[in-house]
Amino acid sequence: MGTMGLALPWKARISSTPRERGTRVEPSEHFAGGHHPAVVDAPSEDAALAAACRSGDLRAYERLYAMHGARMKNLARNVLGNPIDAEDAVQETFLKVHRSIASFRGQSSFITWTYRILINTCYDARRSRLRKKEVANEDSEETPRHEPRAPGAHPALRMALERALAKLTQHQRDVFLLYEVEGFRHAEIAGMLELTETASKNTLFQAKKNLRLMLEPPRSSAAEAR
Amino acid sequence: MKNMNVTCNDRDRIFEDGTLAEWAALEAHATTCPPCAEELGAWKSLSFAAQELRDYTESPALWPRIERALAEEAERKTLRAERRGWFSFFRNIPIGWQTVAASAFVLVLTISAGWFYLHPPRNGQPGDQSLLKSKALKEVESAETTYVQAIDKLAAEAKRQLDNPATPLLANYHEKLLVLDSAIADLRAQAGMNPSNAQLRQQLLAMYQEKQHTLEEVLETKQ
Repeated sequence: MGTMGLALPWKARISSTPRERGTRVEPSEHFAGGHHPAVVDAPSEDAALAAACRSGDLRAYERLYAMHGARMKNLARNVLGNPIDAEDAVQETFLKVHRSIASFRGQSSFITWTYRILINTCYDARRSRLRKKEVANEDSEETPRHEPRAPGAHPALRMALERALAKLTQHQRDVFLLYEVEGFRHAEIAGMLELTETASKNTLFQAKKNLRLMLEPPRSSAAEAR
Repeated sequence: MKNMNVTCNDRDRIFEDGTLAEWAALEAHATTCPPCAEELGAWKSLSFAAQELRDYTESPALWPRIERALAEEAERKTLRAERRGWFSFFRNIPIGWQTVAASAFVLVLTISAGWFYLHPPRNGQPGDQSLLKSKALKEVESAETTYVQAIDKLAAEAKRQLDNPATPLLANYHEKLLVLDSAIADLRAQAGMNPSNAQLRQQLLAMYQEKQHTLEEVLETKQ
């Protein structure tokens, strides 16, 4: 029992890799990586941004985009599988925020509310894509079409993970993406997906367990590799 | 910090919701427990792999696109608000006054249409152009607008009843109104092409009156 046996290029695995990109491997609510400057917005800043957006100030929306646009697009891309649909979803989200900001009462943070809209928009886009597929009498199984993206350090690792993620339940995939990829805390994810914090933690645990099983090579080949 | 003792059995619980101290204790335990070391490594590797799905590359065209869409949306919102403000003026007028306005309109429309009927324009005469711009025609059009708005107000009041007709009679009224609306739309299109045609105006007036009576009957049914 030496190395762990995930069927991925793990040479650059955890202990030897500096966490310059802020991997989330420690307990969820004690995360100290700070890999993204906008992970936690100060409540006052959040409220000020919401108020500015409510007043119709386009600069406020620009600020929201500057703070979260890239992350929103990345999340949408991981859910929808391609950058064009992801950009459409982000644009639609901004329009929905603009249309319904008057109904935002501040029960959750403005950013959490915005991401909730984004996630719902992505679901809608997927459903609509599925309907179009059915109309076209194609394969009705909804599997995100992952298109090439900027080359990462481990493209094979990324592709394997994308394939495995597609096999998870929607909730498990969303929690994994929000927590491990986008760096949100469980309290924030709970607000976005309308579940409890405990459920978010448990869903992430189940997601990682399933991913581990899917990405682990057969025992025999793992043994040969040693 | 006092050293915490964890066992292999604690591993999953710590993975799911462990504290910092518990994680540190698990790391320490893993140095002497190969199965836990493997599990811990695999668990961390998934977090590492997740970073491969993070691509925050700039999309220079996206914000300008969103900005344009937001500006258009804001413009539409303003127009809607202005329109609502204009119609709210009519909503604030009591029903009695609306009836009076509608009756006055009918009177003006009848007189104007009668005048046009009795004095039909002769084609090719130089007076034709002045007839199109005549004060009477403007009055007819202005009165018609007021009348239509008053009828729309009546229609709005009767809408709930008509959308969910409680009786067959109401369902019949609903159908009748649909037919009338369709006929009115046709006549309006024709009248738009030939505004000085008094016969069309009369037919249109008759349709509006019929619609008004029908709506009044619907509202009476409600009472």
